Amino acid sequence: MVNSIPYSIDASAREAIPTSKVLVVGAGGIGCEILKNLSLSGFRDIEIIDLDTIDVSNLNRQFLFRKEHVGKPKAVVARESILVHNPDVKIKAYHDSVLSSDYGVNFFKKFNIVLNALDNRTARNHVNRMCLAADVPLIESGTSGYSGQVELIKKGATQCYECLPKPPQKSFPGCTIRNTPSEPVHCIVWAKHLFNQLFGEDDPDQDVSPDTEDPEAKLDGQNSVTESGNIKRVSTKQWAQDIQYDAEKLFNKFFNDDIKYLLSMENLWKKRTPPKPLSWEQAVKVVGAKDENDETSVRAVDMEVWSISKCTKVFAESISQLRNDLEGKTFLVWDKDDKPAMDFVTACANVRANIFSIQQKSRFQIKSIAGNIIPAIATANAMIAGLVVLYAFRILAEKVQQCPSIYLRQKSVHSKFVLAADRQLTKANPNCYVCSAKPFVNVFVNVNKMTVKEFETELLKKHLNMVAPDVVLDAKGVMVISSEEGETEANNDKVLSDLGIVDGSILKCDDFLQNYELTVAINQYEAVEKDDPFFKVVANPDELKAKESNTKENGVSDHKEPESEDDDLLVLDDIVEDPQEGSSSKKRKLNTDSDDDIVEVPL
Amino acid sequence: MSEKQLSAVEAELYDRQIRLWGIESQERLRAANILLIGVRGLGSEIAKNILLSGINSLVILDDGVVTEEEQHKNFLLNRDSIGKKIAEEVLIKAQALNPLVKISADTSNPVKKDTKFFESFTIIIATGIKSDLLLRIDKICRASKVKLICGDVFGTFGYSVSDFLDHEYFEDQLKLVAKKRTHDGIEEKPEKETVKVRSEIVYPELNKVIILPNTKQSVEPIKKVKRRNEYFFLMLTLLEFRDREGRNPDVSHKEKDVNLLKEIKKEILTLYNVDEKKLNDDLFNIVFGEVVPVCAVVGGVIAQEVIKGVSQKEAPINNVFLFDPLTYCGKEETVA
Ligand SMILES: [Zn+2]
Repeated sequence: MVNSIPYSIDASAREAIPTSKVLVVGAGGIGCEILKNLSLSGFRDIEIIDLDTIDVSNLNRQFLFRKEHVGKPKAVVARESILVHNPDVKIKAYHDSVLSSDYGVNFFKKFNIVLNALDNRTARNHVNRMCLAADVPLIESGTSGYSGQVELIKKGATQCYECLPKPPQKSFPGCTIRNTPSEPVHCIVWAKHLFNQLFGEDDPDQDVSPDTEDPEAKLDGQNSVTESGNIKRVSTKQWAQDIQYDAEKLFNKFFNDDIKYLLSMENLWKKRTPPKPLSWEQAVKVVGAKDENDETSVRAVDMEVWSISKCTKVFAESISQLRNDLEGKTFLVWDKDDKPAMDFVTACANVRANIFSIQQKSRFQIKSIAGNIIPAIATANAMIAGLVVLYAFRILAEKVQQCPSIYLRQKSVHSKFVLAADRQLTKANPNCYVCSAKPFVNVFVNVNKMTVKEFETELLKKHLNMVAPDVVLDAKGVMVISSEEGETEANNDKVLSDLGIVDGSILKCDDFLQNYELTVAINQYEAVEKDDPFFKVVANPDELKAKESNTKENGVSDHKEPESEDDDLLVLDDIVEDPQEGSSSKKRKLNTDSDDDIVEVPL
Repeated sequence: MSEKQLSAVEAELYDRQIRLWGIESQERLRAANILLIGVRGLGSEIAKNILLSGINSLVILDDGVVTEEEQHKNFLLNRDSIGKKIAEEVLIKAQALNPLVKISADTSNPVKKDTKFFESFTIIIATGIKSDLLLRIDKICRASKVKLICGDVFGTFGYSVSDFLDHEYFEDQLKLVAKKRTHDGIEEKPEKETVKVRSEIVYPELNKVIILPNTKQSVEPIKKVKRRNEYFFLMLTLLEFRDREGRNPDVSHKEKDVNLLKEIKKEILTLYNVDEKKLNDDLFNIVFGEVVPVCAVVGGVIAQEVIKGVSQKEAPINNVFLFDPLTYCGKEETVA
């Protein structure tokens, strides 16, 4: 039998390959490539986990899948595809979420190495913690368009995935979306909110009517708009149903009446171009030169910017279709790949853009923004996955020091590098709240306002990425939150101070699944301005000292905390995904040969 | 409606890449007719990537027979292909990667192909061939305006060399553009706008790039560069080895092959007047076979260059790419 283990690699890697057990997390663009490289390099024991099913738009790069596989689980089809080539590989597929409690620390300990090929930050953070807890080397990778990177994460040797704060989610203040849009994206977010108001699940944070609370609309403390002026109906959806989703009436309300109302908030338009209300009657007359183009042509439908009259036509058609889709359901979920949902958002975003003198966009461009689509190509995935497996060889040969981060970059005339590596491993951040010896964070919350449930969901789960935390108030030994069902439900609606959690309290937060214990120091904090965040988390004590020195009376500095997530801000998408085949969004200076002429190219 | 336009099916399939390189690039790819010489480890990776990208047609030219070893490292081959013609055997899986591309197999010996055969392609990709054939094809390509890229993987080392002739290409750049409002002519704050910037690279003929001890070309023009990447000489050494032996270095006679490589290296470094220490002899221990993940990296690079060559979008590598077998960095080296 011919041995398929490559000859020209480290001898100890060659020895280790046939008996090594590898976990691949994610069977997308990079995952498919990694699986192929592993199987072709003589690995005999592979496990693959992925929650996703196959979509048509995957097929330009996820080469283990074909058209007839659309809708099937990625992990299962990837396994079958590998077995066709080599029936001797032992490969186990899980069509499941890696966040599930079925995959605990002991599951991770089975592997010699874990290879991440994920597309979202939540799962990356989680696998990072699991590999730290299990002390298994993890190779993290990602691509976005032409670029990508590979990074080794090994406890005690390198930084972890969470050592550096990640840039916060892209979000916009509510009043910008509702009252004063100035960029296409503001209109697109508004249009998605309008979809949800008319067809989706009720969400008070996604109001689309004029916001009379806008601090800018007030002058010298005087409220220029009376509270009663807030034209808010009991429920937009109810009203839409009452008028049988009459397109003309809907159009006139959102694009004529509401805009007229906005114009009455005069302070907003002192330094801005005022919007121009647009009635249905006027809109249908704004015909474009290219309206007669072939409706089946991709360029005409997707690439050209629609005229306003075309927008009204699509507005009416998509509403009628969506109304049918809603039949028998309580609500619809917006999906970029659902034609009427995407048509509706394109039409509404463009009409609103026109009203506010903002550049209109094509359906194709709006889909990118509304759907948070990160472009992805086969070649970049192939290169990154190749490097991942080359590093896997080195790690099995225990040559960890030879695995500094590698970056794939778009070739430019300014740089000779296509693939560039750091000079050495990146050391861990000693204050990392995940991988340091005693993980610790300071948390700033209003203990008289934040409920236990909010503390658990918003802070511990969404912000600190815990999956099932147990929380004990240190001094008193009071169980605040339990991961066991039914134990602490009674606390959910209580505010923190009801349980004796006050300024200076220390909480022990323990996630059994992640084998992760975090000490949380509570600091009382009250939001003053409308745009102040609901809470703040500070991991680095130096940062805290700096803050204390310029603290205001209420104990909060005005220093902007980069990691905080504004509760008052509207988020573009519920989960802002990491790049499709996901790269960590860290931007680091590349260490390159001194004789190289690397120039920062302005975008 | 002209056939040049993308259908809705194609737009959906290629959505994620059109969002990167634009619909015009996709339409150019869709019109491209490509020849791939050699469909072994590296060739199969290139084939996979360019088929996925959505070209018009691909001819796979390879006169080899599938061995057990080849099947192990070539994802386009299944076990029942062993003993059969490799070009024909990769067809089924290659076609499954993208049913929209017209793929055909040619099992003849590339050396026997006449000039006419090579003239009909948009771009030719050559792997695993000797330098005399490569230079002959380049001459034909130049006469008939066909682009050419060649490359190989030797162990953990890999490279590519391009001859994209006089290559015109476009890049998107974001620029701030002052705008006037259409309805009242009031000046608005400048908006970011994407502008197309045109550039050109004039590639040298391959006989001015790949100069081996017996090519009878003067090395003077390319010798002058002070900091020539040492792997350029590794590439020449391996090409010369293949020219002399008619095969790649083989582990089954490792000692003999390493000795010959050392000899050739000396000749080449003498020819270029470079210190012998520039290229460490230890490297010759890791140039055996095609390491699959290296094929994935170099195959990704070459396919991306093919896409750039065809679509005329983004700056291509000018003109040599060298994959460092020790650090796994990949650099452009401009020769000639
Ligand atoms: Zn860390």
